[in-house]
Amino acid sequence: MNDTWFQILGALPPLLVALSVIGLFVTLCIARHERLVYAMTVGGLNLALVATIALIPLGPVAVTPLYIVDFYTLFFWGVILVATLACAAFAMPYLSGFNDRREEFYILLATSALGAMSLVAARHFGSLFVGLEALSIPLYGMVAYTFRTRASLEAGFKYMILSGVASAFLLFGMALLYGATGSLAFTNLIPAGGYDADAGPWMLMGIGMMLVALTFKLSLVPFHVWTPDVYEGAPAPVATFLATVSKTAVFALLLRLFVSAPITDNAWLLTLVGVLALASMLIGNLLALRQDNLKRLLGYSSIAHLGYLLTTLVAGASLSIEAVAVYLATYVGTSLGAFGVVSLVSSPFAGKDAAHIDHFRGLYYKRPVLAVSMAIMMLSLAGIPLTMGFIGKFYILSVTMASGLWWLTGGVIVGSGIALFYYLRVMAILFMDRPAHAREPQLSGTGDNWAQTVVWLLAAATILMGIYPAPLIDLAAVAGITLGS
Amino acid sequence: MSLLVFTLIFPLLGAITLSLFPRMSYGAARTIGTASVGLAAFTTALVAIFWSAAGGFPFIQTLWQWIDAGDFQVNFSLYLDGLSLTMLGVITGVGFLIHLFAAWYMVHDLEGKPGMARFFAYMNLFIVAMLLLVLGDNLLLLYLGWEGVGLCSYLLIGYYYETPANAWAAFKAFIITRIGDVFLAIGLFLLYVVFGTLNIQAILHAAPSVLAQGGTLANVAALMVLLGACGKSAQLPLQTWLADAMAGPTPVSALIHAATMVTAGVYLIARTYGLFLMAPAVHELVGIIGVVTLVIAGFAALAQTDIKRAIAYSTMSQIGYMFLALGVGAWQAAIFHLMIHAFFKSLLFLTAGSVIIACHHEQNIFKMGGLRKKLPFDYAMFVIGGAALSALPLVTAGFYSKDAIIWEAVANGHGFLWAFALFGALITSIYTFRLIFVVFHGEAKTEAHAGQGLAHHLPLAVLAVLSTFIGAMIALPLDDVLPHDMAEASHWVELFFEILAALVALAGVAIAAVLFLGSRKTVDTVVESHQGQRAWQLFHGGLGFDTLYDRVFVRPFRATARAHEKRDWIETIVNIVPALTRGANTGLAAGQSGRVRAYAMIMFAGAAVLLALLMFG
Repeated sequence: MNDTWFQILGALPPLLVALSVIGLFVTLCIARHERLVYAMTVGGLNLALVATIALIPLGPVAVTPLYIVDFYTLFFWGVILVATLACAAFAMPYLSGFNDRREEFYILLATSALGAMSLVAARHFGSLFVGLEALSIPLYGMVAYTFRTRASLEAGFKYMILSGVASAFLLFGMALLYGATGSLAFTNLIPAGGYDADAGPWMLMGIGMMLVALTFKLSLVPFHVWTPDVYEGAPAPVATFLATVSKTAVFALLLRLFVSAPITDNAWLLTLVGVLALASMLIGNLLALRQDNLKRLLGYSSIAHLGYLLTTLVAGASLSIEAVAVYLATYVGTSLGAFGVVSLVSSPFAGKDAAHIDHFRGLYYKRPVLAVSMAIMMLSLAGIPLTMGFIGKFYILSVTMASGLWWLTGGVIVGSGIALFYYLRVMAILFMDRPAHAREPQLSGTGDNWAQTVVWLLAAATILMGIYPAPLIDLAAVAGITLGS
Repeated sequence: MSLLVFTLIFPLLGAITLSLFPRMSYGAARTIGTASVGLAAFTTALVAIFWSAAGGFPFIQTLWQWIDAGDFQVNFSLYLDGLSLTMLGVITGVGFLIHLFAAWYMVHDLEGKPGMARFFAYMNLFIVAMLLLVLGDNLLLLYLGWEGVGLCSYLLIGYYYETPANAWAAFKAFIITRIGDVFLAIGLFLLYVVFGTLNIQAILHAAPSVLAQGGTLANVAALMVLLGACGKSAQLPLQTWLADAMAGPTPVSALIHAATMVTAGVYLIARTYGLFLMAPAVHELVGIIGVVTLVIAGFAALAQTDIKRAIAYSTMSQIGYMFLALGVGAWQAAIFHLMIHAFFKSLLFLTAGSVIIACHHEQNIFKMGGLRKKLPFDYAMFVIGGAALSALPLVTAGFYSKDAIIWEAVANGHGFLWAFALFGALITSIYTFRLIFVVFHGEAKTEAHAGQGLAHHLPLAVLAVLSTFIGAMIALPLDDVLPHDMAEASHWVELFFEILAALVALAGVAIAAVLFLGSRKTVDTVVESHQGQRAWQLFHGGLGFDTLYDRVFVRPFRATARAHEKRDWIETIVNIVPALTRGANTGLAAGQSGRVRAYAMIMFAGAAVLLALLMFG
């Protein structure tokens, strides 16, 4: 087969998403039809997902010097596409009460997903930056999408301003590294004195600045402060997207950078990353402790989860990449479920914000399946056995222990101990008696059933993968091998 | 032979079916519950035939590997030899008869209330657990069954849980046997550490070479096993739960608290006899515990007014005889008495149940009286059972099994124990015939309606036949499992001692007749005197062990708990952790001001620190 065609074939999934974005623009110019737009978005994403699965036997394809489509890429493309589909499903009922144009939301969603996919496949600073901005810029719009709500607009601005600051750090860091190495490709980032030499202070400064930007996107301590405000203000499906797709893509990129770029092979750098991880898991969990707003709570908890995940970067053990793949998959699945319930129960257009924990009191007696799903998600986030969250937590612990990073192991354990308190608190509230004056959970008609089915499927998957995780582990192991080689 | 596992599967299926459909009709629940155990008994018969046809060698059926963790491997394996086959026969055979009787009894006891399926589900589950206990080829599987029977016992004692007293009795039984279980678990850990395996046969095989005769290790291990056995078998010092356990329905008392579960301790000691041979001091202690328990329980049985409690104390006393047999090295005699006791004690309990139903749930013997005419069948059954319990010579099964133990005690040179055992035999026949005379003779004090139907008559009749010398003709295949009883003495000496024991039993009957037939003036005068009152109170309460434990353990424990309820320094220390976390939460949350300026400042500060550390660190 011709080399160009081969490359196009490898890039087929993002191309399909891009095509559906263009198709959406054209459609909107002609006619405004929400169902049609929704169907096109979901159709395009599903086609991309099918293409991703079909590409598995293909083997690594280098698509221009900018991208690499290997099994690692495909794995995370799969995760991103599934998560985006779930977000679309949650957005439909959430926005149904929104008294303005709803169609553009799906364009933003698909574009952002495209950016995420680009980011995962990036092996060059150029594609990294384009991917990151393509992921972020539509997100500003999505966070502020329900702009008539003050909180949503405010959150959009906060996110945009602080993201801009982070992007500046990123560009400056890249410039410094380019100055030092004369290259923008990850694998060419070699210390001046050769592979084994120490990176000089300016190179470290460059990588440090990039780290600031990327950890901002991952909302790791001390660059986490925006997280609760944005999660709270954003529409629930957007918060879902932020917590899952955005985090997955950026972390996958960070891992690829650390595995491929020789200058990151620096003990002091890794120690500092470990400190960030430790701080994130402790502070994230401590902040979530007495939080009454579920969106904020899940935001804080995502800080902690990314902290757990970051330990694998420090460990650098052979198991690390597999652990990241497993943990991210389980974290995304669980967060989707938890946010899905929040977004189904809280439709702000029928009254004031319903993400307060009191609105979930006694949910079990109104919507038993939804409440049980939420309970399962809480258990999974807490890492209780028989849920897939336990499998992920187990991987993290075994990786840190195998690398002898006992301080990080201790941090994960202490953090999980603190986390248990607020996860179980949410869970208990679901089953408490409803106070007489409580507002009924608002569940709108359109797309509601489909979104609920997604939540149920996620709950079933959480239990199933917790009992029989072998397929997920096998997939993750292959993803790990291709990146490691 | 691989049929063996089906003895477990049938009752298990029964228990599962009954649990899944708790609202099924009386008829369906009775049929399923009884048939499952019946099938198990039938399977046992087949297994017994095949097993002896194949030469009677030990047979191991490995179902699957249970645990495989490093060096620690445990199989889910069943082990069949003469001893487990004997237990298997008792559990499924007597168990089936009791289930059959329960099918009659529970209809009258429940009187239309729901709970029939629940009752038979527990009963079937009990059979499963008990079979696991005796068939397990390793101590862990045995322990699984051991805990399983404990659980079922708890559930069935508290079966009528609406009455708080029953629930408390269930708690008491569970907690006190649990104390024994903890010792057994410690024993298991110890044995694993020493032998590196939990396989019973491997441990018995290695014991003589690994343990030093009379060494500390052997003594401690054997003592732990003994304490476990004491808990389950209601022997001193863990005997106090059994009398209260009579709160359960009467078939439960027959099955669990007479025929099977309470004899699990005897089985355990016999099964691990090699361990006790290596620890002579503890072995001696087994016999002493047995003798003390049998005398104490005998005295207590003399002063009971509740028919079931009286029989319960006699169970404790008879298990005391079994412990005595184990203690003097008469291993086979112990198991033989276990089986015979299962026959006649279930007969006594079931008959008592029949009498209780006939008298409209009356359990006080002094409110019965003169039932001989109204309940002739029950009378005959009770006399046969009582005669076996008292070991009346020649015609009863108890004579052959119990007098063998008493004879072995003296023949193996334990004259002191023998004297107590003989004294116990005297008390046994006194309290047994006291029951018979008070309940069935004298003037009638209550209405009574005799039980009807095959499910009522058949189990009693079969057990009655087995309680006579016919039951004693069953030869147990124990020679390859347990050491031969070693008594060596001339035939004439043995005959002399047996006649002596027989005379003692008959003397007991005579004394009971003098005291309790007719006007009972002598007894009343003694009991009504000041000292008599105190003695009666003492005996009636099981010789004060409940009070003793209450004073020594329960009250200090509760006092300590109360004293620390308000100001507990441990809790103060523990409370530091939540206080710290809460403080950290408050401090950190203050940073979440919601102002973008502040957020950007935090970011820049963080970046500055990070970069400075990176460049100059």
